[in-house]
Amino acid sequence: MAIRMGFVIITSRCIDCDACMVACRAENDVPLGHTRNWVKSSGVLGQFPKVREVFQPGNCMHCDHPPCVSVCPTGASQKRADGIVIIENSKCIGCKYCIVACPYDARFANPETGKADKCTLCLHRLEQGLEPACVQTCLGKSRQAGDLNDPDSIVSKLIAKYPTRVLLKQVGTGPNIYYIDEPVSEIPEGK
Amino acid sequence: MELTWALMIVIYLFTAGLSAGSMITSNLAFLYGGKDFERVSRWGAYISPFPISLGLGVLLLDLGSPFNAYRLFMTLQVRSPMSYGSWAILLFTVLSVIYLYLWLPEKYQIIGHIKSSEKWKKRLAIFLPFLSVGVASYTGLLLNAAVSPLWKAPLLPVLFLVSALSTGLALVILIATLSPWQRARHKELHILTKADAGLIIVECLIIIIMIAMGRLSSASEAMAFGSLLYGHYAWIFWFLIVGLGLLIPFSLELMELKDKIPVKWALSFTISSSFLVLFGGFFVRYIITYAGQTNGWF
Repeated sequence: MAIRMGFVIITSRCIDCDACMVACRAENDVPLGHTRNWVKSSGVLGQFPKVREVFQPGNCMHCDHPPCVSVCPTGASQKRADGIVIIENSKCIGCKYCIVACPYDARFANPETGKADKCTLCLHRLEQGLEPACVQTCLGKSRQAGDLNDPDSIVSKLIAKYPTRVLLKQVGTGPNIYYIDEPVSEIPEGK
Repeated sequence: MELTWALMIVIYLFTAGLSAGSMITSNLAFLYGGKDFERVSRWGAYISPFPISLGLGVLLLDLGSPFNAYRLFMTLQVRSPMSYGSWAILLFTVLSVIYLYLWLPEKYQIIGHIKSSEKWKKRLAIFLPFLSVGVASYTGLLLNAAVSPLWKAPLLPVLFLVSALSTGLALVILIATLSPWQRARHKELHILTKADAGLIIVECLIIIIMIAMGRLSSASEAMAFGSLLYGHYAWIFWFLIVGLGLLIPFSLELMELKDKIPVKWALSFTISSSFLVLFGGFFVRYIITYAGQTNGWF
């Protein structure tokens, strides 16, 4: 089966240290004031004394049907065969159509390049056999990336074992970040 | 909050509609009105290349990499409204300049024969309405494709089309009334005013249906339309669009049509009603562009 790259993010393991954001900025030279990934807070949930807060990290969902790719007038936004959504900078004219089309707000206009900018799933690191920077740095092992179609990958094993949810399913973009909210005591071995 | 698509895009959406609308006005006046409507056709032809050129200039400035803009014309991405829209607008702008040229007084037409220019004028007048409808409604399709809860509304292209016709017509009325040369006659203005009043009614109906459909859709969509009715954008919607942009010009036009205005007031009535239509049309684009981005999915 074709490769389908994506993420599994375990919210119960996220402590909002924001190391993923720092690692991404350092790895990809993301300009200050913008970010390719984020950690969102649910705010305070429940009633005192039983209160809790859930942190939800995120970035480009590398959707199955990415609106950013279909609206791009020059073909700069592309979905690769392995599922990774990238921007070919030389083709981008900076019209920002993809930015308004993304329901997850995963893109921004890079003021230094004048182009749209987003998570590349650290393609350059994958090619060297490394994990994406945000995954490697995650101290709670909340972030996992891999081939969702490969049953031996960590992400597939997690999805098989725990209930998952995706964001804005009703919009029909087919996002490829699967969220697990339940406690995950052990991360399975895998690719 | 800083928006990704701001005022520049609003101006572009508005001017594209203006050009398409005045072009259709000119074409139809020429095809169906003939000599009686010559002034209207002429003014429509003189106006139409300019708003869209301004809009395109502004659009170019809004690009992050303006020097890369030629890339738009090195490909055709069939799924991207901006891609086929760019081609349509390029064609429209070129043809509208040719059409303007054909309407110039004979002494300024240096190239070609007057006889063949009449023939070409007619051919263009038959083809251009189709292209203009494309250009006017494409702006709606452009927003449709960027699936925001407000922009998803299937009637958006129709709303933009009707608003384009109405504002384009109003601009022709305004300039043909103000002009000291080739000023439109009462009979011409009467028909145009009637058409504009009709378009306002259609526009009101579309807005009502659009809002009703939005309110009955998913929670995100209902919320987005709610922001127009009673939320952040309510004063723009009710005061600037419904009041100043639709109801007041409609009543003014109605009074003009029933000849209830003293002659000395006639000119100011025509000017104010057409100006208000333009004003309202601008804020239609404004509110859709802005509210579409501030209301996300949840």
